[in-house]
Amino acid sequence: MSLLSPLFLFALLGIALPIWLHRLQTNATEREKFSSIMFMEQSQQRVHIRRKLKYLLLMALRILFLILLVLAFTKPVFFVDPEAAVTEDMTHHVIVLDTSFSMREGDSFEQAIALAQGLADDMGADDIASLYTASGSVETISTATADPSIISGGLNNIEPDNGRLDIGAMVTALNSLITNSQANFIIHFISDYQQSGQAIRFADMVPDVINGRPVSLSIHQVKTEEVPNWSLTSVEITTADTIRIGLKNNSDAEQSAEKTVSLAINGLEQQNLTQTFAAPADGISYLTFENVVFEEGDNRLDVSVSPNDSLPEDDTRYTVFDNSPPAPVVLLSSDPESLAATYITTALETAPRGYQVELQNINDFDPRILQRYPWIVIDDIGAINDSLAQNLQSYVDGGGSILAAVGDRALGQTTIPVGGQTIGGGLTFSRNTIYNVQRVNTSHPVLNGSVGWNNLAISRVLPIEADDDSNILINLNGDIPFLLERNIGLGRFLLLNTSLNNTWSDLPVKPVFVSFIAEAARHLSNEELLVKEQAVNSFLPLGQNGGSSGQVYNPSGDSLLSLADTTQAQNIQLTETGYYRIVTLGRDILIAVNPDARESDLSLMDAQALQNWETMVAGSTGNIELIEGVAVSVAEEDPVAIEIWRVLLILLAVIVLTESLLGNRYLRFDTGNS
Amino acid sequence: MQIGRTDNRNSPTRLLDPSVLSSLSNLELVAKAVVEGFVMGLHRSPKYGFSQEFVEYRPYAEGDDPRHIDWNVYSRTDKTFIKLFKGETNSHLMLLLDTSASMGFGATVSKLQYGKFLAASLAYLASRQHDAIGAMIFNSEVVQYRPATSKSGTLHGIIHTLDNADAIEGTAMHKPFTRFREHVKKRGLVAVISDFYCDPEALMENVRPLALHGQDVIMFHLMDPEELNPNIKESTLYEDMESGESIEVSPMFMKQDYPQKIKAHIAAIEKTAKGMNADHILLNTNEPLDRALHSYLTFREKRA
Repeated sequence: MSLLSPLFLFALLGIALPIWLHRLQTNATEREKFSSIMFMEQSQQRVHIRRKLKYLLLMALRILFLILLVLAFTKPVFFVDPEAAVTEDMTHHVIVLDTSFSMREGDSFEQAIALAQGLADDMGADDIASLYTASGSVETISTATADPSIISGGLNNIEPDNGRLDIGAMVTALNSLITNSQANFIIHFISDYQQSGQAIRFADMVPDVINGRPVSLSIHQVKTEEVPNWSLTSVEITTADTIRIGLKNNSDAEQSAEKTVSLAINGLEQQNLTQTFAAPADGISYLTFENVVFEEGDNRLDVSVSPNDSLPEDDTRYTVFDNSPPAPVVLLSSDPESLAATYITTALETAPRGYQVELQNINDFDPRILQRYPWIVIDDIGAINDSLAQNLQSYVDGGGSILAAVGDRALGQTTIPVGGQTIGGGLTFSRNTIYNVQRVNTSHPVLNGSVGWNNLAISRVLPIEADDDSNILINLNGDIPFLLERNIGLGRFLLLNTSLNNTWSDLPVKPVFVSFIAEAARHLSNEELLVKEQAVNSFLPLGQNGGSSGQVYNPSGDSLLSLADTTQAQNIQLTETGYYRIVTLGRDILIAVNPDARESDLSLMDAQALQNWETMVAGSTGNIELIEGVAVSVAEEDPVAIEIWRVLLILLAVIVLTESLLGNRYLRFDTGNS
Repeated sequence: MQIGRTDNRNSPTRLLDPSVLSSLSNLELVAKAVVEGFVMGLHRSPKYGFSQEFVEYRPYAEGDDPRHIDWNVYSRTDKTFIKLFKGETNSHLMLLLDTSASMGFGATVSKLQYGKFLAASLAYLASRQHDAIGAMIFNSEVVQYRPATSKSGTLHGIIHTLDNADAIEGTAMHKPFTRFREHVKKRGLVAVISDFYCDPEALMENVRPLALHGQDVIMFHLMDPEELNPNIKESTLYEDMESGESIEVSPMFMKQDYPQKIKAHIAAIEKTAKGMNADHILLNTNEPLDRALHSYLTFREKRA
């Protein structure tokens, strides 16, 4: 055992304190002189002996406490011989195979399999091995086994997938997967070692010391030379009939080539949508295709590059172009001819997404059609009757959303229908009173980046009382909410505390109104969640349309959700490249899924980065030696340091507890008996 | 038997309070203060014979102070006569002070200190009455012995002897009392000042020969209040001041049984005293000395 901070041992002089205190106690209370004891009788209970023992025990505990405390400060460590620490003369080979998308390049994966097979074959008689694959996640193919044939069998069933490998995440996952074994570890990592897979911090790539065992890292790189890889970096629909495509060589191996780019819309290749050009060795090349004709709704746009390179799987890019007509939205108005209806209709129709406003008189509205719309607008929430309020409540509970404003019909009411916020105090209105916006929550999606709220002239608001369930997005002076949101069930209720007819405030005629309505529409219709281009292994949120997840079909056309899941599932993982199809009530949505663009970058980790990694791993677990381009680790022979301060802390806690109990008992008044 | 502290703050004998006396460092001064204060309280009662009124002559006998010889009579008759005054008894007083270790017990005034005050006061009182005074300091042995004499300087010598006594060793009366009997030939008064932590039978065996020899014995039994009514709150380990032995006692015993045992012992000592026609005076060391002096004078008067 060694002490890292031995100077703290001087604190052991403090032991004199409890000894001195106990000596004082003993002298003060133990014996009393008396003229004669000839008439005294011995007490049956030898209290003083027990007390003396208690005193000694108490003193011993206190001295022990001080010793352990001082020891804890001196940071004692035990150095254990790594060889002696191993209970069995056994090595655990942890074989980790990179199955990420980039391993599809050339014969990389076949090389990896061969390397893994060689490791299994070279296992010692006392060795064990386990097999894992690493891509978007780490999967266990075979747990620890001494039988190489099991490892071989596992290797036969492994295929590269479309995921992206992050080495830092992989090492973290491995740390939790292999903590139960009691042998020496050698982690064999077989990969192409893409530069893009490298963790931001090198420390994240260093495995933990497992069970105090030495851990070695053996690096097996399947290729050491880079090859060119052409891939599509972007597909942009600049106008309704023009497409701009970016193409790039994603490798440090610079090589120009002649490439042909073809477009297929909804699976149909068209002669006029093919261009051949000389792609430069470096930089992005852009091609423009004009007079492209799209169908209504979501269009599948397949862009492919030929001839194929050594990684042909990223030579085709899948894109979705939404050529849908403006989305319908219901505006419930107490007076369809009012200025409020005009302002809101204009704002929605001029929004970038474009909405088709269906104006309905609030008194004639049939609530059964609510399910057709992901969200609705109400220009005066006070105008709805109890029956409609109940229907709207059910609609929001089920996942629908409402944008509502207050108006003259809300005057005199005590609560906001549907939202449930309390209106207190009565109407605050004065000709000379002007309310100012004091705080805007710009972190909310509806108000993100919006400006101009401070210029509003607000003369009338309802004294709505803020409650814990409502999120105040805009506050006026006097702490009056101006815009607030409440999540009800699966839906949202967004309330604007002003009328939309330009009488309570000038909001409807201000520029901020248009952007606010557009962002509110995106937010309430969940369009912000529905990104139509996703990377493999990302999660797609469902439930955008009235709480129904809808049915989801993978690129092969197989349905992914059971009937129950069509109403309950909140998200699914997109594991394949191609087009996922989501079919909900009244909507048919396509999601294009491509491999992570970083996997197309075949640049390898440079020698310096690899050397840095080696240095860090060697510093924490073992040495790594580079042998003919392949790094092989050697177990560190230095003793393993085991710190025991945690044990000391536990002992200290036990001693403090015991001392307290004993001290408490000692303080009891003991009368003894005769 | 009255044991306990008396409120004498307004009494003319206030100076007899042992706690006040303990502040005086000079034992002779203590004795003088005690006796003078005590005498003032007696209102010159002729009963106790403190006047210096001439009564008669008697022939000089061996042991008498030659200073008391009336030389005028001698010149006329060639015979030596001693002048006797009223109150004089011409008796001997032997003070036997126990200085065993147990006498050192006491919170404010130890029993030994109280015994010294008492012995010095008695000596001073006897000196005023021209009695021959002697003293023996003893524990298990005779520590110091001064034969009774009425020579000048006797009082000073006795007080000096008392002053030098220390409480050490144990109590064993046999040896000192045997030696005392060997030295004392004349009859007189014998005041034994002790805490009498001894077997009453053994006490009887040692003191009775004195009574049989014609000595008038008065036993001043000194006890500290803590010995009579000990008060402890938890089990205590007591160490015997004489033997050094230890014993652990419970507060319940010290509250209930011990006072009964000590009272029984005192009663046994008192019975022993009566059995040999001796007086037994129990003195609490927190009570003034006047009761002791009063008892002595009563005893002296009775035996005169």
